[in-house]
Order: sequence, then C-alpha cells, then structure tokens
Amino acid sequence: MENFTEVLQLFLATENFLAIAIGVVIGVTVGSIPGLTATMAVALALPFTFSMEPVAAILLLVGIYKGGMYGGSITAILIRTPGSPASACTLLDGYPMAQQGEAKKALKMALYSSVIADFISNIALIFFAAYLAKIALNFGAPEFFWLICFSLTIIISLASGSMIKGLIAALLGILLSLVGLDSVFGSQRLTFGNYNLMDSISFIPLLIGLFAIPEIIEFYRKKVVPHLTAKASGAGVSWAELKHSLKSIIRGSLIGVAIGAIPGTGATAAAFISYSDAKRRSPHPERFGKGEVEGVAASEAGNNGVAGATLIPLLSLGIPGDVITAIILGAFMVHGLTPGPLMFQENLTLIYALFLGIMLSSVILLFVGNAAIRYFSLIADIPKAILFPIVLMFCVYGAYAVNNDTFDVWLMLAFGLLGYVFNRTGIPAAPFLIGFILGPMFEDNLRRSLLIGSNDLSIFMRGPITWFFIALTVGSILLALYRFMTSRHKAKRRADDPGKGA
Amino acid sequence: MKTFLKALSAATCGGAVAMALSVSTAHAEEWPTDDVRLVVPYAPGGTTDVLSRRVADLLQDEIDANVIVENRPGAGSTVATGRLARGGRDADHTILMASPGHTIGAAIYPNLAYDPVEDFVFIQNMIDIPNVMVVPADSPYNSVLEFVEAAKEQNMTFSHSGVGSSIHMSGELFKTLTQTNMTAVPFAGSGAALPALLGGDVDVSFENMPTVFSHIQSGDLKALAVTSAERSEYLPEVPTLKEIGEHNLDQFVTTAWFGLIAHESFPEEATETMQEALNKVMEREEFLSFVEQLGAEPGTVAGDEFKAFIADEVARWDKVAAEAGIRQE
Repeated sequence: MENFTEVLQLFLATENFLAIAIGVVIGVTVGSIPGLTATMAVALALPFTFSMEPVAAILLLVGIYKGGMYGGSITAILIRTPGSPASACTLLDGYPMAQQGEAKKALKMALYSSVIADFISNIALIFFAAYLAKIALNFGAPEFFWLICFSLTIIISLASGSMIKGLIAALLGILLSLVGLDSVFGSQRLTFGNYNLMDSISFIPLLIGLFAIPEIIEFYRKKVVPHLTAKASGAGVSWAELKHSLKSIIRGSLIGVAIGAIPGTGATAAAFISYSDAKRRSPHPERFGKGEVEGVAASEAGNNGVAGATLIPLLSLGIPGDVITAIILGAFMVHGLTPGPLMFQENLTLIYALFLGIMLSSVILLFVGNAAIRYFSLIADIPKAILFPIVLMFCVYGAYAVNNDTFDVWLMLAFGLLGYVFNRTGIPAAPFLIGFILGPMFEDNLRRSLLIGSNDLSIFMRGPITWFFIALTVGSILLALYRFMTSRHKAKRRADDPGKGA
Repeated sequence: MKTFLKALSAATCGGAVAMALSVSTAHAEEWPTDDVRLVVPYAPGGTTDVLSRRVADLLQDEIDANVIVENRPGAGSTVATGRLARGGRDADHTILMASPGHTIGAAIYPNLAYDPVEDFVFIQNMIDIPNVMVVPADSPYNSVLEFVEAAKEQNMTFSHSGVGSSIHMSGELFKTLTQTNMTAVPFAGSGAALPALLGGDVDVSFENMPTVFSHIQSGDLKALAVTSAERSEYLPEVPTLKEIGEHNLDQFVTTAWFGLIAHESFPEEATETMQEALNKVMEREEFLSFVEQLGAEPGTVAGDEFKAFIADEVARWDKVAAEAGIRQE
C-alpha cells in the first residue's frame, strides 16, 4: 500500500492519542452515572470538536461512545442501577455476583468481554464494511419483522421458572410500550391526555426504578444492617473462566455486529438476544440470573459488539443507525466530510487513519476499564446504610437528567413500586424488558410492511433474507417444542420409576 | 500548603465580593443582566440541538452574557414551548430555538395551552433548510409531472421520519394539492427511513436536503424537485415545485426553518439587542460555513415578518392536518 506512510502520518499525532484516551475516560465515567448516557456525552462533546483536526474529532466521539458502552455495566453490577439502557441485561447476573462477593470478577469479565467484542466489531467494520452495508440495505421492514420474530423465539428461554409469570411480565411490558403516539396515525394511545406520556415512557427512569428502587425498599423494610458482603476486591477472572465463556463472547459479538450493521435496532436488544442465546446453549441454564459469570460475558459482548458495527452503515452508506452515529455524522459534516461511498474514494487515507484509531480505542478501553474497576469496586465495600441513600439520590438525579423533567422522577418511583411487586411475587423482570423493547419494533415493522405492500401478505416472503429468518424462526420453535416434549417424557419416566430419579 | 490555602480563601472572598458588586450594579446596566438560557425543545443530537449549540457559542461573543443551552424534549417540541409560553421569573432571559414542530405541533395537537403566534415574540429566523423530492435511482419517474400522472393511476408510498415531521407533512401536502393516491410509511427518524428509500421499498420521499444531498451527488437518489420558493444553490439544476406549477403545485412552498423565539413579555430592548447580535453572528465565517455544511441557507425574516410567516404556516398545516386526518381529538 503506497499510501501507508501517509496514513501513519495522519494517525501518529499526539492529538489523536489524547482524543481517544480522553474520550474513553469521559465515556466510562459518564456511562457509569445513571441517567447520563453516552448519547448525551457525545452530543455535549460535539461543539468542542469543531476546532479539532477531523481524525481527532471523530476519535474523541468514538472513544466516548465505546467507553460509555462499557461504563454502564459498572453501576449495573455494583448497585443494580444500569448506567445506560444497554447494560440492563448485564445486571441480571452481575448484581447477584456482587452480592456474593464476586463484584470484581463480574466487573473484570464485563471488561474483557466488552474489549473482545469491541475488537471483533472493529474487525468487521474494517474488513467487511462494504459487504455488510449491502446486506443492510436489503434489510427492509419485512426482513426486520422476521428477525424480531426469531429473536422472540430465542427469548422464550428467558422465562425461567413459571411460564405464566413470564408471560404476565412480557405482556405487561408490551402494554406499557404502547403508551405514546401511534406511529402511523399519530393518535394518542394510553396517554390519558398527559403530554409527558406522548413521547412514550422514557426507558431510563423505567430501568432505574425497576431495578434500583426495590433493593432500597427491601433493605429498609428489613430494618437491619446486613452483614457486609465485603471482599469486594475479591478474585478476578481466571483464565479458565474466560476460556469457558469465550464461545458465548464470540457468538455475542457476532450477534452485536449483525444487529449493529442494520440501522435502527440498538445495543439493548443485542445484549438481551446474546444473553438468551448463551442461556439456551448453556449446560446449566438454571444458573443464569443467579450470578453466572457467562451471563455477564454474553450480555456485554452483545452490546459492545454493536459499537463498531454501527459505524458500518454510517461510513459506507452515510446512514446513521442510532442517535450517537447521527451526531458523529454531524461531526463529519462540520469538517467538510460526507460519509458514504464517495468518502472511500476521496478520503481513503483519512478512513484508514480512523480505523487505526478505532482499533487503538479497544486497547485503551482495557487500560481505562482496569483502572476504573480498581476504584469503583470499593463501592461494594461501603456499608449499605451509607450507600443506599446515595444510590437513591443518584436514582432521582438520573431520572431527572434524561429530559430535565420532574415527571420522570415520579415515573421512576412508580416503576420502583412495580419492581418491588415483581420481586415479592416472583415475576421476572427480563421478559418485561424484552416486551417493552421488542414489542414496538414488532408492531412498527409489521405495520410498515403492510403499508409498503398495500396489505398484500406476500411481502413477508419476498426474498432470501425473509426465507432465511422464517426457517430460523420455525426451527427455533420446533427445537423448543422438542426439548419441552423430551423433558416431559423424562419427567414422566421419573414419576413412573421414583427409585431412579431425583 | 498553608500559604496556598490562604491565597485560595482570599481569592474566594475577593471573588464573592466582586460577584456581589456585579449583582448590585446589574440593575443599572442594559439587557442582558443575567445569563441567557437557550432552550432546545428536542433531545441532544438533532439538527435543532447542533444548530443551537453553534449559535450559542457564537452569540456569547456578541452579547455580554453566557448563553446556556438546555434540552427539554417532549411531545414534538410542544412541552418546552408550553413551558416558555407560561413565562416566569426568567422569561426575559430565555429564548427557544423553534422549528417546524412549532407550527405543525399547533396543527396536530389541538388542546395546546398556548397560541403559537400571539403568545411569543419572534426574534430572528436563523436558517432555512429546503426539502427535496427524491426517488430511488432506478425509479421509472424522471420528473414531477411523470410521477403525478402515475400516482393518479396507482398507489404510491412515501417514507417519513415520524408523524408531524416536516417530511411527513410535505408528503401530505403534496398528496392534498395534487389529489393523488399516496400512503405515508412512518420510520423512527431519517436514519431509519433512508435505507427504505435507497432500497426502493418506498416510491418517494420529501427529505431534508442535508440527509439526501450526498446520495443525490453519488447518483443513488434522483432529485425531482426542491420545496423552497427559489432553486437551491446546492442543486441549481433541480426545479422548485412552485415553478412546475401544474396540479396546484404553485402553492407548494415549504422549508424546514429554525429560528429564535421568546415569551411575549420579552423586553423590546432585549429583542433589538438580540437581533443586532444575531445579525453579526449570521455574518460570521464560522456560521456561514456551518450553514453550508447543512445544505441550508441563512434565514431572512425577523420580528413582525417572522411572526407573519409563522401565522401563515400555522394556518396551512392546520388545513393539511385536517384533510389528512392526523389531528388528535
């Protein structure tokens, strides 16, 4: 490559290294504060990049994005408060681990998994961008519809324990996701004339309320200072554990890449799909949700796998897949660059310099994350009588910060009560969240497909991508049925022959 | 260390005294006597937000105050606008970056607690962004007239970025004026809508110029017309809908505008100071190059002219929303 020295010249500037490092540090910090999301941090940092060199400017924003993806998991694990929506899934196993004195292990696993997924995502961006972008362009509403159907079948496995309770939770999630304006006609649904509900229920107050508040209520209800879990520092991740989870991490990363490359799905869905997939394949799925380190790994791999891949449609097609990439698109344009096919012809040197920087950001994330863990894991040693009032303050602040509105604080407290009821009655929170996230996507893509196809159902079978996902969906349902039948068969045999079982 | 602490406490005291003095003399000074709050009625990251932050940054150099940007998203900008309309203690130092959501919102939410025209002072329109009527590259239609003829025979679909966006309402306006068969297909934002257009899942869109400009240049989309009154300097060969004229299209002039408004009690002196400062901002190289990047043009109307423009827009969208059946009851 004759331009390689040019690329290196562009990349090897102190400003670039500083930008990545500062970006990742800001991202991890902001991401770990509930209510402050990476999206907000990227938007607020944008004006500062106007006066920077283009490569450094973009790398600063990408650094914040990637740092924020990981940062959210820190508070999710330590205080059951997801710092950002994408880390809600990490909490399912991360917090139980922290309770069992394995906070450090959970944090380390989240970090390693994030870094590996980030790395795989970057590789996909650099080598397969053009190819994946072409697939993304063929991914219309009907294809999306089947992808979500398939995701829903995977997620059945999340309803551990009582199937009825799982269904109640999922349907409640779907019901609440209906609140807001109808996407086609703009009419109000379940808003009761309240303007605050027109933009639908804010996700962050919901998450904070659902997870953090019940812990606090439970603590004060018992009115005893529990014995400290201590050993917060505890053991890290052993090589054997990492090796054991590696398959899940790689699969999760690939799920993240696939979802990130398609505009409009998002990291939260990727984390849940990756988590459910890992649970389904695990030889001991019953451990998931009770502090299984592989669950943390799968979830973080899913959401970090998205980060590099969302840049695929942005760079190769000029299409931003989410709000963060839309802001990054703005940063490109301010510097007189227009992402898209033309950029690969006109600014190839710049793109490769960017790629080098993006690869470097994974490495920097590893160092910054390790440093963050050292200090953050001390939180687990703070007596809960002191910690919980502070957490409550953060909950209120975090809910308020999303829209600068006190309505969201009330919303957060209401979901806190709901979460408490969930805990007491044993209704699982995960299917509730899945319903809330995937429900609207299912509805929107179903209606969009029908509008595009003028109500002709054949649009749902219009090409190879739809056929592929239909086959996966049907296969997945058949597999679930087969497992259900064999387990019943076994249970029956055990019942017939009580001496053998148990 | 001790000396450092001493110096620090002395400096703090000095600062406090200076602040107290500046507050006591503030009343004698001209507007602004306090920081100016610029409210963005949308979440961080969109065009309104990016523009507001750029303007705030430049405006600080021209007026003697900090300009603090504050995001208050909700219900298509009507939450923040409603709050502005209620006034309050700092209404004389609060401005808001209004956009088509202001006029369209008034048309589709009939129970608003404010009057979109009379309850506000209209300071200055900052930029106008034309919409472009675009079709996929392999579309059989090469002109607006060909498209209209076909749309009278068969049903066409148009993508938009959400109910009540300027993109959506432009499509509805086109449908109403030309009396054609068109179905709106909603997406969550332009980023999600664009692949459907590029991939040919929908027939047409009335997208904002910056979203589609590079795709028009690369040949992935065909521009049939622009919606502004004059041809855009970025696409000089593309006609305006107004000049096409047939099928009532001479009435089709609309742009996505972004301008600063304030509560009706906003002092006249403050409006004048702001207009003067904003005019300086709009002449600066940083502002002009930013506007060019957006594919936009600097706003031209201010004060009463701006207000008259808003009144016309409100009346027009009101009619379109009623005819398209997208009014909330």
